[in-house]
Amino acid sequence: MDELKNILEALIFISVEPLTLEKIKEVLNDVPEEEILQALLNLGTELESAPRAIRLVQTGGGWVFMTKPAFDPPVRKLLQIERRKKLSPAALEALSAVAYHQPVTQTDIMTIRGVDSTHSLHTLLENKLIKISGRKDAPGRPLLYKTTEKFLTYFGLNSLEELPREEELKKILEEGNA
Amino acid sequence: MARRVFPNEEGPLDAPVFGGREFPNEEGPLERLEPEAGTATENATAAPLIGLTEEGAYQIKLDVFEGPLDLLLFLIKKKKVEIQDIPLALITREYLAYLQERERINLDREAEFLLMAAILIYIKSQILLPRETPIDPDIDPRKERPDRSGDYERVKVVSAVLRDKEEEQSTIWRRTALNAPLPEEDLDLIEVSLFDLAESFFAMMKRKQAAPQRVLKTKEISVADKTKEIVETLKERGFLDFLEYLDAQETLEEALVAFFCLLELIKARLVLAVQEQLFHTIKVWLRKEPAGEDA
Repeated sequence: MDELKNILEALIFISVEPLTLEKIKEVLNDVPEEEILQALLNLGTELESAPRAIRLVQTGGGWVFMTKPAFDPPVRKLLQIERRKKLSPAALEALSAVAYHQPVTQTDIMTIRGVDSTHSLHTLLENKLIKISGRKDAPGRPLLYKTTEKFLTYFGLNSLEELPREEELKKILEEGNA
Repeated sequence: MARRVFPNEEGPLDAPVFGGREFPNEEGPLERLEPEAGTATENATAAPLIGLTEEGAYQIKLDVFEGPLDLLLFLIKKKKVEIQDIPLALITREYLAYLQERERINLDREAEFLLMAAILIYIKSQILLPRETPIDPDIDPRKERPDRSGDYERVKVVSAVLRDKEEEQSTIWRRTALNAPLPEEDLDLIEVSLFDLAESFFAMMKRKQAAPQRVLKTKEISVADKTKEIVETLKERGFLDFLEYLDAQETLEEALVAFFCLLELIKARLVLAVQEQLFHTIKVWLRKEPAGEDA
């Protein structure tokens, strides 16, 4: 069991992109999936509880090591990054609209937000947080947009399922109104 | 005022609007919209159907309805007012005559009016069309479109959730966050020539030209601004994919400017354009030491 955990640690360590379960199974072809998942879980809790700077994060459909938040300042200093650039409120709104209504046209987003979103969509496209997924079968054949894999990793999500659901949103809205 | 009957194109379905009622001209906040002398025919004698409030919003004045157009649309959708009772042709004619004599228009206000007038005309045309079967209640044009205002509230909540996540993510780092270091000599990189850049660029331009595109607005892009933008992006990301970056430009013009800026930057030895291998994409790097001695 411990050996499997160590193998996984090595595999994740050398992977730059999140290591997917499929990739792990390719390498360890005779180990059952449940054992791998259990070992990953053990590795994760072990790293989290130990006085270590690294944690195991499941993101973008795979596993990856990340530094813990406490080590943000020195890491930033090494990378010579002052502060990570944040998305503008407008871009974030447009992105939320895309995430919930995808695939969606620019007009739909404009209808939802009530303001022109051309620039926001352009920013999101350039940042690869959304992509063009085709054209809508409607007059003018407008372009359709959807979120990318990078959207998930950027926000530390595994899948779109992790976004708050309809009921949760309603609850938040009601709390906000109360 | 005499009873007026609608012109024939309005059809017999329309009831006379002015049904004996006088529209008092002294009605305070409403300013009469004088139709242009030439275009005003029979309407000229009638009281205006459209007026302006003090705030400059349009008001409709009819027997069956008096108030702003959006309220009218709302009531029709709620079936509190019959669309057949609304002389849209007259309103439209009066409105167009009014627009014609204006030298300046308030674009937002006109757009709003046009949108609502168009919806009303659409609804009325659907109602007036002879049908073999009664209108399916599901496709009744008067039916309310799904209300999207709730969508915006939701989008705001999701935005807040995503903002928190972004905040959280910005303090944890993974290895990809490291910019690949500026390539070393022994990496066997091919520094590309102007011809390679131009060739890539023109291939892309051709592709872009083939794709249908409409230019709706022209934006002035200065070389200085674009250069600044490129340098900022390079500082942030470390490198740019030459073609991808140009491809992401909104217009051909902007792509051309960006291409020109990149050439200038390369010439000034501020950036380096390299190919890791033949036929690979061209990457543009910011030089660590601007304009050092030549290799």
